Amino acid sequence: MAASPISSGALTRGDRLFGLKLTAPAGIILAALLLVPTVLTVLYSLHDVPANGRSLGPFVGLENYTIVLGSQVFWRSAWVTFVFSLGFVVFSTLIGLAIALLLNQRFIGRGLARALLIIPWATPWLVIGILWKWFADGSVGGLNAVLLMLGATTEYYDFLADPNSALVITIVAAVWRQASFAGILLLAGLQTLPDDLNEAASLDGAGVFQRFRNITLPWLKPALVTVTVLNVIYAFLQFDVIFAMTQGGPGDATQVLSILIYRQLFGVTQIGLGSALAVILGFVALAGGLLTVKLLYRAERQPA
Amino acid sequence: MSDIALSRAPRRRGKAATAAGLQRSTTATVILYLCVAIFAVWILLPVWYLVVSSLITPSQLGVKPFPMVPSSITFDNYLSVLTGATGSTGFGSTDMGSRLLPAIGQSFFVSSVLVVLNLVIAGIAAYGLSRYPFSGSRLFELSIIVSRVVPAIAIIGPFFVAFRVVGILNTPWALIISYNVFTLPLAIMILKNYFDQMPREIEEAAKIDGASRLQTLWIIIVPIARPGLVAAGVLIFLESWSEFFYSLVLTNQLTVPPLLAGFQSVQQFNWNSLAAATVMSMIPPVVLVVIFQRHVVGALTAGAVK
Repeated sequence: MAASPISSGALTRGDRLFGLKLTAPAGIILAALLLVPTVLTVLYSLHDVPANGRSLGPFVGLENYTIVLGSQVFWRSAWVTFVFSLGFVVFSTLIGLAIALLLNQRFIGRGLARALLIIPWATPWLVIGILWKWFADGSVGGLNAVLLMLGATTEYYDFLADPNSALVITIVAAVWRQASFAGILLLAGLQTLPDDLNEAASLDGAGVFQRFRNITLPWLKPALVTVTVLNVIYAFLQFDVIFAMTQGGPGDATQVLSILIYRQLFGVTQIGLGSALAVILGFVALAGGLLTVKLLYRAERQPA
Repeated sequence: MSDIALSRAPRRRGKAATAAGLQRSTTATVILYLCVAIFAVWILLPVWYLVVSSLITPSQLGVKPFPMVPSSITFDNYLSVLTGATGSTGFGSTDMGSRLLPAIGQSFFVSSVLVVLNLVIAGIAAYGLSRYPFSGSRLFELSIIVSRVVPAIAIIGPFFVAFRVVGILNTPWALIISYNVFTLPLAIMILKNYFDQMPREIEEAAKIDGASRLQTLWIIIVPIARPGLVAAGVLIFLESWSEFFYSLVLTNQLTVPPLLAGFQSVQQFNWNSLAAATVMSMIPPVVLVVIFQRHVVGALTAGAVK
């Protein structure tokens, strides 16, 4: 965004001080609520904290991290998180893009279709989990009914009891919500695309796919980067949907890192280890977000 | 910017439009409507199943395959959930249904207080960042963006300890305080973006007329910024209505999401009541967003950049 007329340069010292004063309340609140607990969590992760959490306990350095990184549970959980995230990011983004392209066309009932898109996005994540848990239920679920009607299966199947299908169904549920979110953002991006560009390209004889590749996709790049980065972060930090659907089970089939940390902190109350895990998860989410920005923007810079 | 999405863009008809392929072939039309149908099924199927489940009896629910079009409907599930007569004698022996209305009330309370508080605090901060950038304001904005990746679970421990010391565990205040972690940055991002796009001429004029900086903010900006404030308010409401994790850990099923989660484990055999409660929990946020969709989508685009 270009530098604004009143700002930059024309500001007196009093103006800057005024800006600081206006921002200070929010700054102080956020520092107290975000910075302090984050620092405390990092401190916890370096100590052998007693289960009641009243004191830090003895300093153990990086021992909590060594224990975490040396445990099979962690790596198993990291793998589940990776698979969940990969499926979540890829399908949320692609289905979202497909929805945005579709709802950008002119057809009867388009307004209604766009209103439908809002339902999954406005629904609380936890409710999405409950909704899909029962939809996929082995005895009363609608998913089974549909598959039965389509002739894809002959009897009801308990998807969430099977370690392989449980992870798939949690991904589908989370994608159901997030594809709508991606669709809304990408549709907003598409609507700013000037018609003239497409018309001119069409007159030059460009086909549908050429126009998509050379006009629509580059135009959507910034929105796509935003959506993908958000999807990556949502993926790594996902808790509600999985908690509602499987609580990490069956066994540890859907135990993503956030569920593992929850169990560590509130199940077995190992605060030091749980905090070390939480710090690792925070870094993974940050690194994942930054890496995505970098990869997508590098792809943009290359000539098409 | 606030109404670009979900609105009908006027399009030219005529030669150019035809040339651009807006005139579709029959095949293209068929494919298009087929895709629309698939889209509608994708969104509606799970929701339809939920709504139907909430309108039938447990014995109808047991029918295989599930009756996607029920032969008869009943509102008993809604009634029993609202009056607290779900007949649950699960552990804890509290009828989960009797807690739904209070939980809805608490959710409304927490969300509304946050909307008001955040609009004031985030509004003035965003205005300061937009119009009077100070040294360090860029850093502040960056840290707001980074705050998005702090896992809620990483900071819940200190909150739990602090709230126990102060004695506000299991009160709405625990949530009103902790939800600022995600609602305040969201509101600042949205409003800063909104202020950045607002023309500055009127403020300049007010300044020349001798209005102080604070007067300008209050008299000039607040009235014109109303659409942005509404949009930010709706998104704050949505986020706090939906929040589950803090409410799970810091309270005993005070708001709707943790209540539903608890309901789910107790009411294993009464999916119909849970379905009715779930439908009711979806109505406020969905209705709110549908009403304000034009405002909200524009702001969402801005807030999402964070």
